[in-house]
Amino acid sequence: MLINGHLAEKALAAALERGGEFADLYAERRASMSLSLEDGKLEKIARGLDAGASIRVIRGRSISFVSTEKTDERSLIEAARLAGEAVRGGGSNIAPLAALAPASVHTIEVPPDSVAAGEKAKLLRAADRAARAMGPEVVQASIGFSDDISHIMIANSEGCLAQEERARVRLIARVVASREGVLQTGYDSIGALKGMELFAAGSAERLGASAAEKAITMLDSRPAPSGKMAVVMHRGFGGVLFHEACGHGLEADAVEKGASVFAGRVGERVASGLVTLIDDGSIANEWGSGSFDDEGVPTRRNILIEKGVLKGFMFDRLRARSAGAVPTGNGRRQSFRHPPIPRMTNTFILAGSAVADEIIAATEHGFFAKTLSGGQVEPATGDFVFGVSEGYLIENGKVSYPLRGATLIGNGLTAMKNVDMVAGDFEMNIGVCGKDGQGVPVGSGQGTLRILNMTVGGTEV
Amino acid sequence: MMELAKKALEQAIATGAEQAEAFAQLNRSMRVKVYRQEVEELVSATGSGVGIRVISGGSVGYAYTSDLSAGGIEAAARAAAEAMSVTSADEFAGLPEPAAEFPRLDLYSERLGAVPVADKISLAMAVEKAALEHDSRIQQVEAATYSESDSSVAIANSLGFARNYAETSCFAFLQAIAAADGQMQTGVSFVTGREPGQLDAAAAGKEAARRALSLLGARQCASMSCPVVMDPFVTASVIGVVGSALTGEAVQKRRSMFAGRLGEQVAGGLVNLLDDGLHPEGLASAPFDGEGVPTRQTKLIESGVLQGFLYDTYSGRKEGRASTGNGARRSYRSQPHVGPTNLRLIGGGAAPAALLDGIDLGLHVMDVTGMHSGVNMVSGDFSVGATGRLIRNGNLSEPVREVTIAGNLLDMLGNIKEIGNDNRWVPFGGSVNAPSILIAPMTVSGK
Repeated sequence: MLINGHLAEKALAAALERGGEFADLYAERRASMSLSLEDGKLEKIARGLDAGASIRVIRGRSISFVSTEKTDERSLIEAARLAGEAVRGGGSNIAPLAALAPASVHTIEVPPDSVAAGEKAKLLRAADRAARAMGPEVVQASIGFSDDISHIMIANSEGCLAQEERARVRLIARVVASREGVLQTGYDSIGALKGMELFAAGSAERLGASAAEKAITMLDSRPAPSGKMAVVMHRGFGGVLFHEACGHGLEADAVEKGASVFAGRVGERVASGLVTLIDDGSIANEWGSGSFDDEGVPTRRNILIEKGVLKGFMFDRLRARSAGAVPTGNGRRQSFRHPPIPRMTNTFILAGSAVADEIIAATEHGFFAKTLSGGQVEPATGDFVFGVSEGYLIENGKVSYPLRGATLIGNGLTAMKNVDMVAGDFEMNIGVCGKDGQGVPVGSGQGTLRILNMTVGGTEV
Repeated sequence: MMELAKKALEQAIATGAEQAEAFAQLNRSMRVKVYRQEVEELVSATGSGVGIRVISGGSVGYAYTSDLSAGGIEAAARAAAEAMSVTSADEFAGLPEPAAEFPRLDLYSERLGAVPVADKISLAMAVEKAALEHDSRIQQVEAATYSESDSSVAIANSLGFARNYAETSCFAFLQAIAAADGQMQTGVSFVTGREPGQLDAAAAGKEAARRALSLLGARQCASMSCPVVMDPFVTASVIGVVGSALTGEAVQKRRSMFAGRLGEQVAGGLVNLLDDGLHPEGLASAPFDGEGVPTRQTKLIESGVLQGFLYDTYSGRKEGRASTGNGARRSYRSQPHVGPTNLRLIGGGAAPAALLDGIDLGLHVMDVTGMHSGVNMVSGDFSVGATGRLIRNGNLSEPVREVTIAGNLLDMLGNIKEIGNDNRWVPFGGSVNAPSILIAPMTVSGK
């Protein structure tokens, strides 16, 4: 254990000695490594160790939170008292700690810290070679690798004691292709909540080749048109649109303050009947998974929208307490330095029964969004915007030439109501979601689907 | 901190590396968020750590640790040396020669620590209250926040550099939510300073309220090509993107639309852009950068002509030139990399209202979304979501949402026709000081 149980109980008691209803302790020791390869040269390797703990005290809707990198008894008790000082009144007893069994298990076969930097470098070189082999147009490849392995311990005043070892590895490729003065970039990534076993033979090569192919394809792109049209979202990447456009509005902190278009609408029809939206942090070894969330609540499969009807929200402990709801395993944090807040884990639209090719064939004129580059949403209004790094025109039911500089813009509720076809070719993609200054790993996924009447913002009027 | 840096430097030198550097940092931060006049969140953190960089034969290794025990520091030094043994050799890698003189800057206020926490909580409450009392349509305020940091940095390296500095900073921020006729609109504002006494809570609260209210009833407008006026918040995010493309690293890695354009007209003749690491109000100011090079002012664009790029020691050596003091470092966790300090787009003579004069139909942009994902840094093509108000016959008219503005960043800079005199500091996505600007024409995509 990072902090022995006796000391943890003492710290929790110190945190609540002046009042407060709930206290928890989060301790973490994380070892990480990152490598980057540019222009065929292994430019940067960095290793890091982050260790520390934080104490949180809850009273009503208020939290007081203190983090420290020193976890000796004196420092920890001092931090606990400081956290307790800001919160007066109320009162609660400490329940003796009892270890909680994980509901889902995410095995680590080859811990990343057991593999030397030199071995990891081989993956980067393989991806780099594969990217360059795609054609003379490839003028630059940047490959990045990162891993971390962390030991986490969570103890709270209700007696919950949860411990977990989490390993994550990720490889990304960014390729620039050039022809006749035109430059385009391609990007791809793979990652999982597991060890180095993710990189089975050939996976680094496939990644490099895929990023290069995207960049080369976009060399032939023409400026994207502007206007409303049917948008076909390719499997996998489109999931991030639903993450942004709906997911954030389903997080309980936005809902609690009425700063979400979904607030007060449970049981109402909020999307097309083809849309079932799920958040599931218990999927084995998926990028956004964990046995517990970062408050010691076991992760689980939460149905947020079922066949278009709003079913529920994603809660952390604090928001669940004030809403009289059950925490859903969505209390997450970037590190011991950050208080937990409601966050998505792996969020996806359940696969449908259509066939991807038939969706394209059924679209007379539209936009095929194959890779999104990221986006943003205003949860209060549901308005979102997304960059499309790889998009195509659809003409007469066929994918035509590539389009550059396109942005998808719309409103989450409207877009979800306008989903009229969902295919079964489900895929999950990985990313890092930022909120309140905290980045956490999230998965997002869907099968190929069509959204009618969406605004494409291009450079051609 | 200096003691810690020197201790870590000793361990780094003991690995046998030709060159070594230790960057030590101690940061105390506090943040209070209020909601409906109650403290929602009070967060305090003490963080300290050391980053060790070692260089031999042109290979660089880096490791950091928050474990400052003798064993922890030694392990970090070993980890850095192990990393160094794997990286490729690069003839341009190396530490900067220590400079003789450094700017004297006043970055620290004792008042930050002296003001009681209760007063800081009151400040956050005052921010919220000012917004709520401004208009009954302000339904609530999200994230009325006071945040502060007190940090000290010490760098020691094997070439004999050993210096430290301390700085304080604080800001108040809020997002006001206005609601009417079933629609919600948001408006943000913030004020920054070295100590809480410099923050005008009421001004921030009112501004956020005004911004949210002015967007109520916003609708999508028709697609058009028209003049666009950006307010200082929006100009600042554009300048932030321009700044990141003006680094030597972006150019060398062919990730910049400015590559190969030195001496060319890359922006309208009124455009003067500067990186200023010395400005007393700039929160990115410091006597030296993340590798110990004195900071300074660097002209980037003068009268629309590209004057130069920003360099750290490594990217400078690649060009056979000195660092411009732009070896940026977010914390001890990161290695130095080229980055802007405070970017300043120098203000023009026009009052912001004068920028609207003579525009029959245009868009006044108050917020852009997707700036980080919507710009192709290589080609300069961009497309971002925008909210704001239509400009009709020289006046601000009905509010607009759910549109995009798109084009090429270079064309856009070239089309800057007028620059306002309403410069202000915007602390998001870097430290930027920017005014309103008029760009004509731009493509607006709506319905």
